[in-house]
Amino acid sequence: MALPETVSLPPARANFRDTTVGRLLRRPSALLGLILLAGILAMAAFADIAFTGDPLDMAGMPLLRPGEDAAFPLGTDMMGRDLASGIFHGARVSLLIGGVAALVSLVIGIGIGALSGYYGGRIDRALMRVTELFQTIPPFLFTLALVAILQPSIATITAAIGITSWSGLARLVRAEVLRLRNSELAQASIILGASDARIIVRHILPNALAPVIVSASILVATAILTESSLSFLGLGDPNVVSWGGMVGAGRETIRTDPHVAAIPGVAIVIAVLALNLLGDGLNDVLSSKGERR
Amino acid sequence: MAAAAAMTAAVVVGVLPGPQGSAVAQEARQGGTLSIILQPEPVTLTPSTNMAQPTQVVAGNIFDGLVTYDFELKPKPALAERWEVAPDGLTITFHLRGGVKWHDGQPFSAADVKWSLENVWKTIHPRNKSLFENVTQVDTPDDATVILRLSKPSLPILSVLNGVGAPILPKHLYEGTDVLNNPYNNKPVGTGPFVFKEWKRGEYVKLTRNPDYWEAGKPHLDRLLFRMIPDAAARAAAIEKGEIQYAPYNPVPFRDAERLAKLPRLKVDTRGYEWLSPLLYLDFNVENQHLKDVRVRRAIAHAIDRAALAKIVWFGYAKPAISPVPSSLVTFHNAKLPQYPFDVKKAEALLDEAGFKRDANGVRFTLTHDFLPYGDDYRRTGEFLKQALKRVGIEVTIRSQDSAAFIKRVYVDRDFDFAISYNNAFPDPQIGVVRAFWSGWLGTGTPWTNGSGYRNAKADALIQEAGVEGDPAKRIAQFNEFQDIVLGDVPSLPLLELNFFSVYSADLEGIVEQGDQVYSSLKNARFVDAPKGN
Repeated sequence: MALPETVSLPPARANFRDTTVGRLLRRPSALLGLILLAGILAMAAFADIAFTGDPLDMAGMPLLRPGEDAAFPLGTDMMGRDLASGIFHGARVSLLIGGVAALVSLVIGIGIGALSGYYGGRIDRALMRVTELFQTIPPFLFTLALVAILQPSIATITAAIGITSWSGLARLVRAEVLRLRNSELAQASIILGASDARIIVRHILPNALAPVIVSASILVATAILTESSLSFLGLGDPNVVSWGGMVGAGRETIRTDPHVAAIPGVAIVIAVLALNLLGDGLNDVLSSKGERR
Repeated sequence: MAAAAAMTAAVVVGVLPGPQGSAVAQEARQGGTLSIILQPEPVTLTPSTNMAQPTQVVAGNIFDGLVTYDFELKPKPALAERWEVAPDGLTITFHLRGGVKWHDGQPFSAADVKWSLENVWKTIHPRNKSLFENVTQVDTPDDATVILRLSKPSLPILSVLNGVGAPILPKHLYEGTDVLNNPYNNKPVGTGPFVFKEWKRGEYVKLTRNPDYWEAGKPHLDRLLFRMIPDAAARAAAIEKGEIQYAPYNPVPFRDAERLAKLPRLKVDTRGYEWLSPLLYLDFNVENQHLKDVRVRRAIAHAIDRAALAKIVWFGYAKPAISPVPSSLVTFHNAKLPQYPFDVKKAEALLDEAGFKRDANGVRFTLTHDFLPYGDDYRRTGEFLKQALKRVGIEVTIRSQDSAAFIKRVYVDRDFDFAISYNNAFPDPQIGVVRAFWSGWLGTGTPWTNGSGYRNAKADALIQEAGVEGDPAKRIAQFNEFQDIVLGDVPSLPLLELNFFSVYSADLEGIVEQGDQVYSSLKNARFVDAPKGN
């Protein structure tokens, strides 16, 4: 592997087409992912303006079909709650949980991976045993157990998802750091007398960032799915509306009123698809970065 | 109850034609297998210590009781042909049916009843212990007579004498053994219309016709097959296909029940649960800084539209409750009581009066709500309450947990603000109602007793007096006064009288014949046409 010529992330270059974003936008699948994600972010941002009331309010007749009543374009659920309002407000909760949980796993995963890869030896062995311990427990069951013990609320759900999903990332970062640790770049920095912290933060991590960014988008998608599964099993936060909770609430009426579960289900599919498309695009763009075409 | 005591052997529950007399045109037939939903899988098949619903659903077919209960909850003869209660209430005499045999061929006698009372009803049966506490002696002058001698009257005894309320176990198989671990608990031997055949764990419990049953011509069916189908969607499909012909205890979600009820081949029936009389209620923690004020509790009562709750959340399978004594307990229910009609203005006025004004955000104060984690219906009830109370300025945070944590929080730690739960009232308020109000339960941590922390000396006294009152009319008066007090103080707000429902095939008759049907036997059930689908 050639030594990357950048030490820190490249500053914005004159030629937009050559930047990461520029090359990303030229990939149709990644572009689609970005557009969908932007749409979901817009829904979350404008939820309060588009739907002023409480999304949990029993606003209309129960179980209206989409289009049956103009006031409720997507219909209502079995309690008469507006599904459209739920989708908009639910986007907030789902994105919030997805984003924060991914951040938690990023911090833990990068921290453990970097320390482990850089220092090696006993620290590496100890940290990797811990990582393996987390890897051997099925993450969803682990999350389920944590949430059941801590009692479901947005904070506990987010923390539980974050705590249980960092192990793969830690191993990935460790492998990258291990590779860069022995590179000429790092060796040179050591000879020049840079501190460990400086070497890790300034020189190694920025060059190990590509796989991390890719897995981060997948982490967000997985966190949204995990929260949905928890809510579906009745372990969501009952005080807020989330897409998974809406699917769970619609489960009982799936034979008679499938739209109640299907509409939030489609929202989850779109969000997860968008994040995966984006992740794939980033993966392609970033991994081919050093190879000038 | 006095009328019941005077009843003679002439009355026997027979096969009644359908309400429209439709049985005449159709041809009833003997035999056949009835497939029944059993959910969840029972832990044991003998209702001596485990009062779980599936155990009792099966056991009611294997064990006959001294009596059964009609839709008015009056006792009807079964193993006891007749009975007398002495005017002072201190002696109850049962005259047993002759010629009844256990499923293993041994004769049934008064000794079995005496043994069961002394070793099961009085000692290990969770609901009955207190009711039979005052029975000091059981005499059996002959094989067909049992005389209960009591130190104080205990009239509620007459409300629990069916096959699961006071199960009669075969003395010859249980005497001298450890009753709790007797192997016959899981291969029961009874005197009922169906004989235990096989229990294949996770799949089915099979019972077959008792050819020597005491009632001639009964039962009609050859076999009962209780099948366990854990998934609600699979249950609905099995019922629709006709694979299952009888499914008691809310086998499918309410919305599916509405759909199934429209199918001509199926019937959805809420009768047969009268003996249970389940009541959904809201327990207020009277030690909470806001809820200790009775005006706040009354305001919350006024803020809840119970008719809408019944219609929206419970899909009409419930009706608003106005008293902790459900209306199905006809003798004791008092409709002329303090009422809390839905009235948002009044609720707001009461809260203002209590000194809890709305702040800048329109919030008076915040409460945390815990719901009984028995399924989505209870969770949605919590969500309904949250929205209802928001309208009067009370912000509610819903907290969910598993049932062990719920029981510990409400009944042991008392670390809650207000919680919903449900209790079966049973035919006498002494059995299922007063437990929620008697201060004697406080500090014991017993689930489904006094969750609110209510203490009222007058109510306590009435509860204790009615427990040992021998005059039925006086007991009615005592319970009327009791209802008046607890509805005024409203430590626990009755919300809904729940209606459980059964789904069954339209070509069955005699499937719901009595008020304790779900916990009783299917001896009257039969197919009127060839069963479809098998």
